[in-house]
Amino acid sequence: MSAGEAAREVGQRLRAASRLNATLAWSDAALEAEAARVDAMPVPGPLHGMPVAVKDNIVTTEQPTTCGSRMLAGYVSPFNATVTDRLRGAGALIACKTNLDEFAMGSSTEHSAYGRVLHPLDPDRVPGGSSGGSAALVAAGVVPAALGSETGGSVRQPASFCGVVGVKPTYGRVSRYGLVAFGSSLDCVSVFGRTVSDAQRVLASIAGLDPLDATTVDQPPLETLPGPASLTGRTIGLPREYFPPDLHPGVKAGCDAAIARMKELGARIVEVSLPHARFAVPTYYILAPAEAAANLARFDGARYGARVTVEGDIRAMYRATRGLGFGAEVRRRILTGTYVLSAGYHDAYYNRAQGVRARIAGDFALVFASGVDFLFTPTTPTPAFKAGEKTADPVAMYLADVFVCSANLAGLPAVSLPVGRSEGLPVGGQFMAPHFQEAGMLACAATLERHLDATREVAR
Amino acid sequence: MSVTPEDVRHVARLAELAVEEADLPALTAQLDRIVSFVAQLEGAGASGPDASVAAPNGTALRPDLVNPRPLARPPAAFAPEFIDGFFLVPKLGVMDES
Repeated sequence: MSAGEAAREVGQRLRAASRLNATLAWSDAALEAEAARVDAMPVPGPLHGMPVAVKDNIVTTEQPTTCGSRMLAGYVSPFNATVTDRLRGAGALIACKTNLDEFAMGSSTEHSAYGRVLHPLDPDRVPGGSSGGSAALVAAGVVPAALGSETGGSVRQPASFCGVVGVKPTYGRVSRYGLVAFGSSLDCVSVFGRTVSDAQRVLASIAGLDPLDATTVDQPPLETLPGPASLTGRTIGLPREYFPPDLHPGVKAGCDAAIARMKELGARIVEVSLPHARFAVPTYYILAPAEAAANLARFDGARYGARVTVEGDIRAMYRATRGLGFGAEVRRRILTGTYVLSAGYHDAYYNRAQGVRARIAGDFALVFASGVDFLFTPTTPTPAFKAGEKTADPVAMYLADVFVCSANLAGLPAVSLPVGRSEGLPVGGQFMAPHFQEAGMLACAATLERHLDATREVAR
Repeated sequence: MSVTPEDVRHVARLAELAVEEADLPALTAQLDRIVSFVAQLEGAGASGPDASVAAPNGTALRPDLVNPRPLARPPAAFAPEFIDGFFLVPKLGVMDES
């Protein structure tokens, strides 16, 4: 299929999927231009003609980048993110910009200034977040792969809810240049795929050292290994803190089935402990808002996007613009972050959280040093919840990230893949690996994927 | 731990964020809920920051070199006019105030 044909097909699919509210910017003309560029490439790239959707907190010069916020309505970046340059260099078509929780803050994609994204299998439910638009488009079969971003699980959690694959690379594997900053010590461009193989190919194309992001690490190119025939010789750790007694029965059944299958495939399964795991969510909800409060200071009405004109001095303009431009969740995070950094509270919250973060990372290092190759856990405590179910209580929403945010705090790679269905809703299982062990982790996930029927009903 | 409306006014001032008086009670309750939740770290046994960093290569610094990157649109496209010592820039966006 030529890139032109792929572009026309993805245009039709985007139109058919418009009810999901998963896209923020796309056009037939932009798709045609992308296709013409790809078809003119002298040598086809590894992603030749593959349409890839891009979360709208990753900047592109052709379309606006709004971050799902009124604050950036109509903002067009003067430069492209490194990851979009690399996707194009590999022959992919940028299909569209996708809807998200405002500035990537949320776990349900209900916090977008442009309306909530619908779950492709049940419009009353959420697709997860914050990369819900990218997840929904992959799940609905509109695109085979999409870029999202993670600060605390924002790709794996929606991947789990929507029944697709979500990969978060090691912090430093993929450039953040052109990813609008939320929590800079945590942010990672991450990938959705319909299959492990699609996600792996896209990740390999965007990974690598970038002189424009000093946190990227010079590593050998990411290998796209096929899933081995057996898992003999692999040790998979099951952290007991991730299998609490009140785990949703459908999630438990899906993970149990996956664990049984890994055993049949020859893996050694061992129980392990990550004793600081229970502190991951409170640690995250100190550090991420603190970094967000600093990063979002730049949106002040003077430098980017829209401005509210009011009587008074420049600070009155800042306050009015930020008060009107940011939605409820972003305001809460900015206030929380400012609170934990403020005089008198800095030691009790921010400094303590930095210490706990190091202990959480230390737990993982100990387990991996003991001979465990990968960890396997549920991705989320429940399948997709209903829209509105958690919007009244921010902490209830935050706890949707309980199994995913540790990998961000420790900088580890992780992948969520579908392992079954409960009452028709997808259930995800997650592998976590030591730093830069993506290739082996994804090969293991590919083997499990091949031996599981992820559309099978697993719940009682 | 309990967050007061005055605390919220104070951090809103620090954050340069306008908060409507009518929103203050709900915002105070939510911030109190969040701060009480994260306060459970008191039981985690770590009191201060640790030198170790979660990033695999520690704190990376790039060479201090001037390395300008071409922009998709030249500066003249941002600021086409220069009058009385000031750049005149096009309006970037309009926020719906309704």
